[in-house]
Amino acid sequence: MSDRRIGVYICHCGGNISDYVDVEAVREAAGKEAGVVVAKTAMFTCSDATQQEIMEDIRENSLDGLVVASCSPKLHLYTFRDVAKRAGLNPYRYTQVNVREQCSWAHTDDKEGATGKAVRLVRAGIARTLLTDSLEPVIIDTVPRALVVGAGIAGLRAAVGLSDIGISVYLVEKEKSVGGRVAGLGSMYPHGRDGNKLISQLVSEIGKRENIVAYTGAEVVEKSGSVGNFNVRVRVGAYKPQFVDLNVGSIIVATGFDTFQPGAGEYGYGTGRVVTLDEFRDLLDSSGGRPVYNGKEIKSVAYIYCVGSRRDSGVEKAKVYCSRYCCNAAVHASLLAMEKNPRIHQYHLYRDMRTYGRYELLYDQALEAGSTFLRFGEEDPPAISGGPGGRLRVSVKDLLTFGEEVEMEVDLVVLVTPMVPRQNGALVDVLKLPLGKDGFFNEIHPKLRPVETVVDGAFICGACQGPKNSSESVASALAAVTQAASLLKKGYVELEPLMAVVDRDICRWCGECGKACPYGAISKEEYQGAEIAVVSEAICKGCGGCGPACPKNAIDLKGYTDAQVKAMIDALVAEWGHTSLI
Amino acid sequence: MGLVNPDFTDRVNRPEGFNAAACMNCGVCSAVCPMGIDLLPRKLFRYVLLGFEDKVLANSETIYSCLLCRMCEANCPAEVNIAENVRTLRNYINKNVFNI
Repeated sequence: MSDRRIGVYICHCGGNISDYVDVEAVREAAGKEAGVVVAKTAMFTCSDATQQEIMEDIRENSLDGLVVASCSPKLHLYTFRDVAKRAGLNPYRYTQVNVREQCSWAHTDDKEGATGKAVRLVRAGIARTLLTDSLEPVIIDTVPRALVVGAGIAGLRAAVGLSDIGISVYLVEKEKSVGGRVAGLGSMYPHGRDGNKLISQLVSEIGKRENIVAYTGAEVVEKSGSVGNFNVRVRVGAYKPQFVDLNVGSIIVATGFDTFQPGAGEYGYGTGRVVTLDEFRDLLDSSGGRPVYNGKEIKSVAYIYCVGSRRDSGVEKAKVYCSRYCCNAAVHASLLAMEKNPRIHQYHLYRDMRTYGRYELLYDQALEAGSTFLRFGEEDPPAISGGPGGRLRVSVKDLLTFGEEVEMEVDLVVLVTPMVPRQNGALVDVLKLPLGKDGFFNEIHPKLRPVETVVDGAFICGACQGPKNSSESVASALAAVTQAASLLKKGYVELEPLMAVVDRDICRWCGECGKACPYGAISKEEYQGAEIAVVSEAICKGCGGCGPACPKNAIDLKGYTDAQVKAMIDALVAEWGHTSLI
Repeated sequence: MGLVNPDFTDRVNRPEGFNAAACMNCGVCSAVCPMGIDLLPRKLFRYVLLGFEDKVLANSETIYSCLLCRMCEANCPAEVNIAENVRTLRNYINKNVFNI
């Protein structure tokens, strides 16, 4: 018999659970388990009234373990850990059992089966709780400084934002000057202000701030440490490089994007009179009067959209995703061209027009201004050949004219190409940031944690995360500022103590655990004359990858020890008479 | 097959005020047309926008058979002045084909 004193609560979830799971039967079964002192059901366990009741039970019965069988831990783990804490019970002595998603919702056709499964899951939860210890969160002090990698519009704005909150910033830019892509742009939608002026404004703001230090021609070459306290080495200059060591609490990555380069000959690219949208923008921005190409006035333009994007994964080099900024950018470029030469004829050959949100107004303006839109199917891309007078002949099956073949003769073809991930493998290796399947940096959760990465303390923003226009980039930069600042202003971080721990008497360093660790959290140290493994509490995520790799079984995971997991399995299969399955 | 002819588009567009740029090809106009004219107005308007003069002129009969009842116009979500555009096309044909 156990001398533990455990309280078990089975939730109806207002019928979500009790419509399919016989919660009274589950309560009865739980009450028979060794160590269980209190077993109750509740209509809504998360309600304030039931939380109060649990707290009273904990105090009156001197409970030293708590189990709630309700919904998923994602929803209410922290709710009930907090209940335990408020009642004076160590929160890590709490176990959540998910009988809603795993029983009632999953087995609506089998009430008896759902109830039986709930009983077994609750027994397993009790078994784990019997072996819980009190754990304390790991506290790591944070350094009130941040590193921003990349000084384009997102990085610059992030630096200013952090500075204003009182966090010192090191700004590292690979190129010789700051400003990134936007510095090279003239008029930008939707406000019509020049990109280079926006950047000048930001640069002057940075100049006013003493707590921002910028390095240009610089790259991050090493990173060690962890959230709140990173040590970063930066190489400044290429020929006679100098190395600068920085100590920062968080890192914001704003390294931007590359532009897709069409293959030689793709839609006639490289043969003259065919340019990318970027090249066309340069041409527009640099022409005072009517735009000219190769000494001749451009009287007509055909834009071909989705060149290199939204293609099957089988198409070489092409991207599967929609780059989303390009429809807006191309339509806006056509308005600029129209401003400079009101008599220009422009044809937009698109697959789908995705001028989303308020940028729909740009599309309306382009229609009003006389741009002609033609639509082609993915399988019937436009074809380009030489036309009379050195012009180009573009032919396309226009779906808007009911699939008729349409030909046009134009002075210039503009290929509307997507943003693609920047090739910065060295930085990826140094920071150990994960890439998504499109090759851009990946956030933890697209909605709820959009700028955080799996590396605690490292944030991403701007177009290094995926195609974004500049206003979206700046919005995400400021989100990253908020996240970085909320970490650094507090002065410390609390980490879950559910981490790997090495038995120092058993371990004889072989390095297998270090190889298994995806976070680089395990290193070697001397202990009583022997070499053993040590886990950095600041870096370990408690994934458990190291445990099975250890040939001596010297690693255990706090909160999910081998003993606990074995006990849970035994409890799950107890009614079939199996014991000590492992 | 048709070759885009911006000059024709300009000739119809600029002096006479033909404007179908806002048309988004939804087809409401064809659906409500009491004459059941399937060419009118959206297909025809595409021909004008693309400058297919021969295709427009080949459909003169249809252009004159429109009742100008404005049922299409009343239902057009893009607020295209459809009847006015048809008048403009008739003017163009009167001048350039019938010389009146």
